[in-house]
Amino acid sequence: MSCKLEDRRPDWKSYALGELDARARQEAESHVAACADCQDELAGLRVTLDAMATLREEELPRRIAFVSDKVFEPRWYEKLFLRPSFAAAAVIAAAILVHAFVRPVGAPTNATAQVDTRAVEARVTAEVTARLQNEMAAAVNTAVTKAVAETEKRDDHRTALLLSASDRRYSDAADFLNKQVTRIYALNTGAGVR
Amino acid sequence: MIFREVEDRDLIAKARQGDVEAYNLLVSRWEKRIFNYLLRLVSNREDALDISQETFLKAYQNLRKLDDPARFSAWLFRIAHNEAFSLLRRRKPESELSEPRPRDFGGRLLPIELSLAVESALKVLSEDQREAVLLKVYQGFKFDEMAEILEIPVSTVKSRLYTALDLLKATLAPAVLRKGGLA
Repeated sequence: MSCKLEDRRPDWKSYALGELDARARQEAESHVAACADCQDELAGLRVTLDAMATLREEELPRRIAFVSDKVFEPRWYEKLFLRPSFAAAAVIAAAILVHAFVRPVGAPTNATAQVDTRAVEARVTAEVTARLQNEMAAAVNTAVTKAVAETEKRDDHRTALLLSASDRRYSDAADFLNKQVTRIYALNTGAGVR
Repeated sequence: MIFREVEDRDLIAKARQGDVEAYNLLVSRWEKRIFNYLLRLVSNREDALDISQETFLKAYQNLRKLDDPARFSAWLFRIAHNEAFSLLRRRKPESELSEPRPRDFGGRLLPIELSLAVESALKVLSEDQREAVLLKVYQGFKFDEMAEILEIPVSTVKSRLYTALDLLKATLAPAVLRKGGLA
């Protein structure tokens, strides 16, 4: 039996891989309920993907970590410009200076007052923006520090547990070995037998 | 819980300002995925670890060039892809000598045997096909993200992936069905 839709049959690979939108998915599901050919194709794909899911992720032989290296750190002026508040303030300050020195010749005198008002508004906006961004940066900084500390604490705890389990296993193995040696000695010498 | 408290974009912002500890936290979130992707791609643990380290080093050095922190995963996998294919190109003549063949598993498929069958079937695919499977099936990327990582059209992504799935189905499905399903 072959699918009656032929070239217009649903894209079962996209379906199985979760790439169909809701409508196409619904149409495909309605069709497959009554099409043995498509049922076979979908079943084969599902078996394949289920088999592939048995492949487990492997652990890294050792963790990847970096240490602070001056070579890769941004320079002081780069750091300043990486802070959005500083960059914004610098751009606004530059704009005010340019406007002050390059204003049109013959402009009406009352323009000076207008420029000053704008400059004050810009400065206030810049200060408020800078303050907000500083607060946000401080909050993120605190959260990152906390997360790093928690990760380290969790790693320490896990290491302690592993060491403790390892000690226990070693102790059990030593006990078992001692008992075995005592038993063999007793069997060989006749001591303690019956 | 820790992942909800601090988003990747916050760690990226801190790392961009030279905070190595923030970057190490970011690495710890992604290293296993990157390592496993590379391990299946280059089929060698030491090479996979070396390329993983190289990938994270390059990512750190170029973090300021990342335009949209929300695209960090695709960007990181793009770096890993470039590093892996650079190695694969260097060792091409050697790998061409030994073409892998799918293994035949005679008895009932135990989970470990099924894993080996999958590993064996993946190795039969071409590098491009295998990478498409790794990114989609094991890393869960969407077609458009894969196109971004591999710098190819979505149509090519689908073509590689579909051919790979047909080959894997031809190898794995009969073996599993013949042995009465997954053990």
